[in-house]
Amino acid sequence: MREYIDGATAIVRGALAAGCDFFAGYPITPASGILMAMMRDLPRTGGVAIQGEDEIASIGMCIGAAMAGSRAMTATSGPGISLYSENIGLAIMGEVPLVIVDVQRLGPATGGATTVSQGDVQFVRWGTAGGYPIIALCPTDVADCYRLTVRAFELAERFRCPVFLLTDKEVVMTPATVAADAFVPLPVPERTTADTGLPYEFVPAGDVPALHLIGDGAAVRFTGSTHDEGAFITKHGPTIEALNRHLAAKVDDHVAEITMMDHIAQAGAATLIVGYGVTAGAVASAVELSDSPLAALIVRSVWPVPEEAIRDALAGIDRVVVPELNLGLYRREIERLAGDREVVGVNRIDGDLISPQQILEATA
Amino acid sequence: MRWPVPEAEHMDPGTLGCQGCGGALSMRLVLKEVGPDAIAVLPACCWSIIDGPWPLHALDIPVFHTAFETAAVVATGIKAAKAMKGEDPTVVAWAGDGGTFDIGLQALSGAAERNEDIVFVCYDNEAYMNTGIQRSSATPAGTWTTTTPEERPEPRPKKDIMGIMAAHRVPYAATATVAYPGDLAHKVQTAVAAKGGMRFLHLLSACPPGWKMAADQAIEAMRRAVQARVFPLYEVRDGRDYTITVWPERNVRLEDYLSLQGRFTPLLADQDMLERVKADVAERWRLLVERHEHSRRLVGTGR
Repeated sequence: MREYIDGATAIVRGALAAGCDFFAGYPITPASGILMAMMRDLPRTGGVAIQGEDEIASIGMCIGAAMAGSRAMTATSGPGISLYSENIGLAIMGEVPLVIVDVQRLGPATGGATTVSQGDVQFVRWGTAGGYPIIALCPTDVADCYRLTVRAFELAERFRCPVFLLTDKEVVMTPATVAADAFVPLPVPERTTADTGLPYEFVPAGDVPALHLIGDGAAVRFTGSTHDEGAFITKHGPTIEALNRHLAAKVDDHVAEITMMDHIAQAGAATLIVGYGVTAGAVASAVELSDSPLAALIVRSVWPVPEEAIRDALAGIDRVVVPELNLGLYRREIERLAGDREVVGVNRIDGDLISPQQILEATA
Repeated sequence: MRWPVPEAEHMDPGTLGCQGCGGALSMRLVLKEVGPDAIAVLPACCWSIIDGPWPLHALDIPVFHTAFETAAVVATGIKAAKAMKGEDPTVVAWAGDGGTFDIGLQALSGAAERNEDIVFVCYDNEAYMNTGIQRSSATPAGTWTTTTPEERPEPRPKKDIMGIMAAHRVPYAATATVAYPGDLAHKVQTAVAAKGGMRFLHLLSACPPGWKMAADQAIEAMRRAVQARVFPLYEVRDGRDYTITVWPERNVRLEDYLSLQGRFTPLLADQDMLERVKADVAERWRLLVERHEHSRRLVGTGR
């Protein structure tokens, strides 16, 4: 059994499989397919789908719903992520489990609504004030869209933070033939809730407190301001420092748990290709087509950077090639891990995809 | 009312508009009246595509493509800077219903409240047509769109944007449609002449692909919208003085308007909802006539 479907459909299936019962979004190409499918399908399962009056409204609704007990998702593209910015910070500060789909298109600004890009890879990482970690997963194809959407919901629950599904126009809008067993039922991610104790316990820093839902049990508070473990606003320096170290440590201390990647190791390979998202297909083809052995790394958990796994893959390598549909945004993460190795980019920002041949030329 | 309209064109033929696009027809006619000194500010909307890529762009006036939520405020900035230099162009913010009723409303409200010296034109095709027919708050009750599927059509009436603008007491606000070109031309002339403050034009603009109808029915659909009192043509001065400019003459029923368009299939199939919509149309028309008559009684009172 095979199906001919697009990534938007796979993302919606993944969300429903993961127990998503709240969606809010605003029309924007190339993410509108997710909005339309959610508006059609979610009410049939008893969930709520709302088309907001803009992106600020859409993510705001998701934050409210998530803190009241829903499993929430929103979807947009670069201009919409720009409007999400303040609320991404609110979700980080309020430790809100939330899945945000970014279907990347060429920027900046309006850019190219139907033009593929990977220009948001650093933007989702640093897209709100303050500079705290987020998690981002990057599907390479339609089947990945399903699997990684479920995983994004798991990680959102596990770490109580916004998790990005960093996709792009081609992966989401281009239908592909997919084996039906790509859509096996996956367990609904566990949720740990509590209605007694401190709702935002942040000592020890790396632990994640159980979700205390607003309006359940104790009078749970919520704030975007610096706060203590009860969400009471504070100006007490040591408390503020403990809070902020917690917001970073709960993600940074669990990189291995979050890491998702494929490592194609080849005996005798001195060149490693590092790709993510839509370029993964060209990376795999380049490895196959090459006359000499090439190693490859497909990074699915782009944030936090899986540094140990990348360092492991760099063993025995003296040249790294990083193909990206931007001017080398993720390459800088590889460069800081690569030591003295030569790191070269293969970069396109003209709306076309990178071909295996272009990658092979850079490996020579 | 002056007719015919000026011969000078500021929009070239061969745009990327769909056949029968009310938005394209509206732009052509409005620019004839505004003239060559216009500066257009376009947020994300069909017109950000219709204008076309170089060298096939359609408009021969300066065009500022801006972010979705910023038509009114970017127009405000342009006008302020031009005024400081002693120049007086007509700055026209030209937005769809999404960029007016939804994401653009905050900026529009701010500009209206400050009484900015701009002309804001909303060409209203009653959904997000450019991104694939998603509902907006301008979508009327009972409508199918891709986000209000047939099993759950739009449940709520269209947002009363003219009421919102009147509540801001803007100097001039008017509804119009290219199906009544003389009325539209006159209102554009009035708006352009009313320099110094906020002017708002609400243009019903048929969208054959989104309204699910034949392209050659676009003008007839807009005409029937007026005749069936779904989209009355009127103007409001200072938020108080209402004047109905085109009185329905033909005996056009609501169903005659709805049945031209496939998007109203769910409404026509739901007798209860249809009755509610009919009652709503009648009530709104009655209120408008009352306001019109009330405004006539006030003439000469020195208010």
